[in-house]
Amino acid sequence: MLRVVGRRLLHAAVLVLAVSAACFVLAELVPGDFLAPARLDPRASAESLEALRARYGLDRPLHQRYLSWLGSVLRGEMGHSLAYGVPVAPLVLGRAGNTLLLSVPATALAWLLALILGAWGARRPGGWGDRLSLGLGATLQAVPELVLALLALLVAARSGIFPLGGMASLSAGELGFWGRLVDVLRHLALPTLVLALALVPVLLRHVRAALSEALEQSFVHAARGHGVGELRLLLTYALPAAAPPLLALFGLSAGTLLSGSLVVEVVMSWPGLGPLLLDAVFARDLHVIVGATLLSGLLLVAGNLLADLLLYAVDPRLRRPGATP
Amino acid sequence: MRLRAVSVLVVLAALAAIVAGRLLRRLPPPPPAATAPAEPPAEALVSPRPPGRPGGQLVVALRAEPRTLNPLTAADNPSQTVIWRLMADLVHVDRRSQLPVPALARRVTTSDDGRRFRLELRRGVRFSDGHPLDAGDVVFSLRAYLDEEIAAPQRDLLIVGGRPPAVRRLDDYTVEVELAAPYAVGERLFDGFAVLPEHRLAAAYAEGRLASAWDLATAPEEVVGLGPFRLVRYLPGQRLELERNPHYWKVDAAGQRLPYLERLIFLFVPSEDAQVLRFQAGESQLIDGLSGANFAALEAGAAARGLRLLDLGPGLSYSFVVFNLNDVDPAALPAVARKQRWFRQLAFRRAVSLAIDRRALAEVVYHGRATPIATHVSPGNKLWHNAALKPPRRSLERARALLAEAGFAAGEDGRLRDAAGEPVAFSILTSAGNRERAQMAAMIQADLAPLGIAVRVVSLEFGTFLERLFDSFDYEAAILALGGGDVDPNSDVAVLSSSGAHHLWHLGQPAPATPWEAEIDRLMSAQMTARDPAVRRELYHRVQELVAENVPMIFLLSPNVLVGAHREVGNFAPAILHHPTLWNADELYRRAPAPAGGR
Repeated sequence: MLRVVGRRLLHAAVLVLAVSAACFVLAELVPGDFLAPARLDPRASAESLEALRARYGLDRPLHQRYLSWLGSVLRGEMGHSLAYGVPVAPLVLGRAGNTLLLSVPATALAWLLALILGAWGARRPGGWGDRLSLGLGATLQAVPELVLALLALLVAARSGIFPLGGMASLSAGELGFWGRLVDVLRHLALPTLVLALALVPVLLRHVRAALSEALEQSFVHAARGHGVGELRLLLTYALPAAAPPLLALFGLSAGTLLSGSLVVEVVMSWPGLGPLLLDAVFARDLHVIVGATLLSGLLLVAGNLLADLLLYAVDPRLRRPGATP
Repeated sequence: MRLRAVSVLVVLAALAAIVAGRLLRRLPPPPPAATAPAEPPAEALVSPRPPGRPGGQLVVALRAEPRTLNPLTAADNPSQTVIWRLMADLVHVDRRSQLPVPALARRVTTSDDGRRFRLELRRGVRFSDGHPLDAGDVVFSLRAYLDEEIAAPQRDLLIVGGRPPAVRRLDDYTVEVELAAPYAVGERLFDGFAVLPEHRLAAAYAEGRLASAWDLATAPEEVVGLGPFRLVRYLPGQRLELERNPHYWKVDAAGQRLPYLERLIFLFVPSEDAQVLRFQAGESQLIDGLSGANFAALEAGAAARGLRLLDLGPGLSYSFVVFNLNDVDPAALPAVARKQRWFRQLAFRRAVSLAIDRRALAEVVYHGRATPIATHVSPGNKLWHNAALKPPRRSLERARALLAEAGFAAGEDGRLRDAAGEPVAFSILTSAGNRERAQMAAMIQADLAPLGIAVRVVSLEFGTFLERLFDSFDYEAAILALGGGDVDPNSDVAVLSSSGAHHLWHLGQPAPATPWEAEIDRLMSAQMTARDPAVRRELYHRVQELVAENVPMIFLLSPNVLVGAHREVGNFAPAILHHPTLWNADELYRRAPAPAGGR
């Protein structure tokens, strides 16, 4: 197992180098830079723009900029935001935490819904429950996440039950622990639901397919013949058998925890990475873009590692000597 | 089985730790309560507006977060919005009258030759930390703005006659600024230059750190200014809170010290739709930058909700189509070079201009909340707009006649052809992501079709768009917008002057390419030094006539400035200049203040 962890860490290091180098090269290929919009500012002369370009180091060759960025990664800064004038690490890490606060419960909710609906459909393929869950999944897949988010805002505005975005009320600082907990949960409710509903369709199809296949296994039929109840059959026999592909998918979905909520965060004013990243893309604030991309990549590696560990835990074959996940 | 249980527990514990960590995190404590304010300064500026009621707070949503709190380096709109509530300038342009009025300088005297300005400061003014203001702070601030290393965006505005001005301290309350050449702008020059606290920033300047000072991680008590508010806290991605500056130097007619508001809160709401919903629900009390569609949506039921929505008319920005008249290499860009034969003909440009239905553009793209324009000076510019020039009304007959005079004729297939028989077709570049301009380009395409002109709309990423416009000149026509700064003609020099950096239709001219461009150069140069405002106006009106006659750009629309406020906001006096709703934040008040901390 230690070998697996070591290999994954090596993957992470290679990923950092590959993703960051790709970001730098791609940014170089696209015309314009952070100061491009200033060219339309009548106050700024060409000389002033050149002075600013020199100050930001944008006039240096690509390899020099990349090496100096790598140096800043080693110092724990992850580069320097041109727009905010501060190191990238504190800028993105705080917001990444907010994004995880939203995306972790949303992903958990999406998995829960997908497991329930998938199991419901898999029990009797082609039955009304199956058709209903597949229809629901198809409908959700057809509705863009942006529309779902706008609908949620409309519901919040009309009902007055939920806040209109944000992560906390203005008065949250004056509340006690439980008050703050309720306040954050109220703010979390709609964006979590939107994000979960957007994730459900893909998960649902995989869960249904995996469980359907597992329920057709001979050992499941044998168990049924021995009078094992349907619920126990599903939880104890079919679900562990269906686990390997679903855990692999879980690992992949962990990789989207930071990047998957961008639209919802922007529309619902959630103070996560989304608005910062969007702003950075429009402003060509390269180091912020690379920083956020890297965090996403590292999370993908971590997600896959977690999936491997969970697979190791649920599949006894992998624990045999000589087996590799 | 045990390993499985442990794995699940580890995952759950990690999730719980994240959630608990977020929830338990308390807000950073606000700085110590404001010290009891002393009596207002003897030379306090008296607000001309009716006295209001102190207390309460206002909430305003910003589309993006400010990037810095440093007035020397701030270039983005949200930063400017926040900074100018924390800072003050020597002379201020009244956003309603568009005229300069005294601010920190109680009097500005200009020498007869128009080169020297003597600025007399108000006595007894203090920074938000209680430190007294004197001439040293003004000299320090102007020196910082002029520093090439800092490269402040406003620096170029102070370079007159090719040289930076000499700044001298005459005594504790008087500063003299001497320009290298006479400058007709007068004391307006000092609007937009924040007076900085030397006692706080001198060390950073000496160490070469001034440009990076006052970022968003700076402790609130370190950010010191002369504006109506001071920083309380910044919560990344969520909001920025200001409180009233107890040392502010303005009073109302009843002698009450301004500002009235205890708190001014900026919420970060990245989408316009969410901003509108929050404003409608009363979670924010002021809104600006509304689109025509959202303005219309808010208008329905505005009275019942206690909302005031105002269309302030055209702002200063203007959209236009520009043809590529740059010197291009025919070998590198043969199609562009060939089509420039058409673009260089005045009759062709006029015909295209006449074929465009500007009213329809305003109706469809801006829901009627935009104004057709004849030149780059919109009717919103009260001081300099030449009202005698009317935007062209659509006339296909006149357009056809002009084209026929220039040797163009429609073929049997209905397509317009030039004298050499080449079908007339060109592309219009637009920047991706700008919905309004993409819509306008599509409508222009339809407008030109009856003339037999085929137009292709090409949408490009903004950086690529600018690269084609400024560097490679690989485009035929482009649609874009400029303007929005100050009303003074000097803000247009870069566009109008033949050597200007924004002389978009023909950049980098070593000498004026046409007689009318030479004439505009002469007029712009003359108006820059003319001391008599009437003479200046006459010169600038002539510039506008030349622009309208020669159509170097086909001017389309100036979007109206659309704003709103809840009726409980007193002294609401929006203007088209920045910032439209908060420019007089010191005078705004709540008729029925909400309890602190509430909404």
